[in-house]
Order: sequence, then C-alpha cells, then structure tokens
Amino acid sequence: MITLKGVTKQYSSDSLGLHDVHVHIEPGEFVSVVGASGSGKTTLVKLLIAEERPTTGRISIGGWDITDIPQRDIPLLRRQIGVIFQDFKLLAKKTVRENVAFALQVAGEPRARIRAIVPKVLDIVGLGHKLDRYPHQLSGGEQQRVVIARALVHRPKILVGDEPTGNLDAINTQEIIEILKKINEFGTTILLVTHNREVVNQLRQRVITIHNGKIIADEKEGKYRL
Amino acid sequence: MFISFGRSITSAFQDIGRNLSLSVMTILILILMLLSVNTLLLIRFLTNQATRSITDQIDVSIYFTPTATDEQIAEVKKYISAFPEVTEVIRYSRAEVLAQFQTQYEGNPAITASLQELGDNPLGPTMVVKTRSAKDYQKIITALAVPEYEKIVVAKTFTDTAKAIDRIHIITTQVERFSVVLTALFAIIAFLIIFNTIRVAIYTQRTEISIKKLVGATNWFIRGPYFIESLIFTIISVSLTALLVFFAARFLDPYVAVVFGQSAILTNHVISNIVWLIGIQFGAVLLLTIFSSALAMRRHLRV
Repeated sequence: MITLKGVTKQYSSDSLGLHDVHVHIEPGEFVSVVGASGSGKTTLVKLLIAEERPTTGRISIGGWDITDIPQRDIPLLRRQIGVIFQDFKLLAKKTVRENVAFALQVAGEPRARIRAIVPKVLDIVGLGHKLDRYPHQLSGGEQQRVVIARALVHRPKILVGDEPTGNLDAINTQEIIEILKKINEFGTTILLVTHNREVVNQLRQRVITIHNGKIIADEKEGKYRL
Repeated sequence: MFISFGRSITSAFQDIGRNLSLSVMTILILILMLLSVNTLLLIRFLTNQATRSITDQIDVSIYFTPTATDEQIAEVKKYISAFPEVTEVIRYSRAEVLAQFQTQYEGNPAITASLQELGDNPLGPTMVVKTRSAKDYQKIITALAVPEYEKIVVAKTFTDTAKAIDRIHIITTQVERFSVVLTALFAIIAFLIIFNTIRVAIYTQRTEISIKKLVGATNWFIRGPYFIESLIFTIISVSLTALLVFFAARFLDPYVAVVFGQSAILTNHVISNIVWLIGIQFGAVLLLTIFSSALAMRRHLRV
C-alpha cells in the first residue's frame, strides 16, 4: 500500500527531515509512527500527501509512484488519503455539516450526493445529532471527530493522523483512538503519528520509531521506546 | 466541471462581500480610469467634429464685375471645375446676389437707402467654390490670378480658418495628453488596489485555502474564485461606466448642440459605437485585473 525506498528529505544543508528511509506498509495495517519533536515524523506525513517532495528515493502509494507527481494530480492523491491534524483545521464560520460537505464540494460532488453522504459519515463518528453546531460549540474531541468525518467522506484507502490527539484530554483521546480502530477494522490503512506513549502501548500494533530522520526501530507489535 | 465553476462563482461573490470596502474601492478606481479614457475618446470625437464643421464652412468666393458676361462666367466655372480638388461650384446671378445682400442688411436703413439711390444693381455675379480640403483653397486663388480673368474678377476671398483649426488641435492635444497621464495614473492605482484586494482575500482565507488543499481541491477551485472576482470587477466597472458615459453624453448634448448646431450628437456617437467602446474597454480592464490578480496569487498563494 505505502512504500518508501531510500527516501531522504534535505530541507537545507544543515536541516535534514528524513534520511534513507525504507518502509513498506500493507493494506489495512494500523501503524504508529513515534519520535521526539523534530525527528522527521511530520516530514513523513508531508511527503505522503505530496506537500513536500523527496530529495532522493522513491515513494509509492497503492502502486502509484508519487515521487515526481505532477501538480495537477496532487488533488487526486489527497482525495485518496484522509489527513487529520492536531489543530483540527475546521472552518469556524461553517457548521459541522458544512465543514464535512466542504471536502466534497471542492471535489465537485453534486449537491444531492453531498446531502446523502454527510449525515452518514457523521453518524459513523457519533455526531449525527450535532449536524448544525459550529466548531466553537463542540468539545476538542468532537471537533477532532468532525475532522475524521471530513477525512472519511472521500472513502480514502489511507488515513493519516498527525498528532490527532495532541490537543485532547485522556477521555477524548480514547474516543478518537476507538474511532480510528473502528475505521481500521473496515479496511482503511491507518498511519498514526504520535508521541503519546499510552496510546501506542495500548494499541499493540506495528510501531515505527524515528530518531533524527532515521528509522531506528520497526516492530510488528511494538511499544513506545523513546 | 459546471458544478465546480458554479461553486467558484459563489465563492467569488463571498470574497467580494467579505472585503466589501476594498471591492467597492477597486470598482470605483476602475470606473475613474474608464471615465478618463472615455473623456479622451469623446474629446477626440468632438475635435474631429469641430475641425470638420469649420472645414465645411470654408469656401472661396469669387466676385465678378457687374459687366462680366454669362459666357465669361461660364468659362471661369468650367476652368475651376476642372481642378480635381474642387467638389462644388455654385454660381449666383446678379439678381440673386442683390437679393442675398438685401436680406442680409434688411435692418440697416442706411444701406437700403444707398441701394435705392443707386437705382441700378451695383453688384456683380458671384461664384462659390468648395474644395476637398482647406489647404486647396489657396491653389484656386492662385489659379485665378491670370490676366484674362483679372479683368472680370473684382475680388477673391476665403476665410482663413487654418489658424482656428491649429488652435483647436493645440488645445485638444494638451487635453488629450492630460487625459492619457490621468488614465495611466488610474491604471496604476487600479493595478495596486486589485493586487491588494486579492492579497487581503488570500490572507483572510489562508485557513480555508489550506483546508481546500488538504481535502483535494484542484488548482482551479482554489485560484478560480480570484479570477472570477476580477471578471466581476470588470463587468461592474465597465457597465457602470457605460451608463455614466451615456447619461453624461445626454447631459452635455444641449451644450454641444449650441456649437455644432446638431442635437444629440454625443449620445448618437456613444450609441452607434457602444459595442466597440464596451468591447475594447472590457478587454483592456479584464487584462489589467487578471494580470494583477495573477501576480498577487503568484506572490501570495502557494497551491
């Protein structure tokens, strides 16, 4: 599903994002990527959504080599990878329903289809009863669930979370992890970038540990080791 | 495709609404720029009209002695008509000249009394010659300066309007130069304001833009609304300017009619050239707005 072969990302002569990274992630896997701040975790996410391009090496997703992906194809790639961030990135002046619908609108989906899909996806994340609330009327956990719903509307094969629980308390963190597990059970590959020890240890799934841009550990059923 | 286009249009109107004061300012500056262009065009039109009107009034008058015979006058007419520059030769008999003279001085008892005292018609026949252009008149005057005609021609005159035409051209050239400078100034201001309007729009929507990129919006979906915004600015400013010019022409027509003796001269000119006027101005303003928007996006919008 996701393959990185000898990927290096050099931002400048004294700033290295990733160094000679080799990773292969199978479809349906739930992989946690752990590492200290500045270790290269976010660089990995940016490379996967083509926000950055590797200096050397090759990246492919679902057999599609995206190393030199043309600018015009990036939107197609991003519709196949759902991304959730620590800072939610919700539109404050749009309701829950509108925030999720927005992702379909930009993809040119017809209005009728948007009306049909959005409530269903919000039901999956448990927000079917808060369609007309605004982000500021929701808790942090609920806001993150809206973001997950927005990431899911395109039915992505991969869901990437960049510190999605970073701003949440323990209870909300648990809720989000449960939702991610549920999504994974439906077959979506999950790549969870985090430095939350409890979350990683509780998942008992594959863990990739990055340090100074290099993979220092890749365990099938790993633990947080930093 | 059509759905995305429709959403881009909606988004463009939302942007205009969010930055209403800047949008209004942009449209106002574009209107000022277009008004100065239209002033320039109308001045040029009026100058041409004035020159043509003055030229139309010029003619050479040849005054014959009262003793000049019809044959002699016919010969002069034949000679003058042979010049390719001559467009019209009108001959007035002695009686016609007297009648014109009497009509002209109808209210002058001294002249009427003098004519009655003379008894006989003291005026000779007259010939009025019109040529293609004002500069040809001197040629006709020179051509008549031959001994055989000197005996029967009392006087040859033509009103020297060349100086008046030159003066009109000097004044209008100055006004045109001022209008060109003013137009260029407004174009620069419009460029800067549009650039800033788009820059502010990009800045205020940076979160929305980053989310659009994140969820897979195409370049067109992100950039399209700003181009459509430029198109909306163009349509509104050109339409409002066309209306303003039309009403200004109607307002000025009575004043222009005093000079040219024709009614609705400006309005008719605007109406008969409306497609050309709007088309050219629409194209020019669209180029200006698209160029400044594109530059603002290139500098401030990373897609």
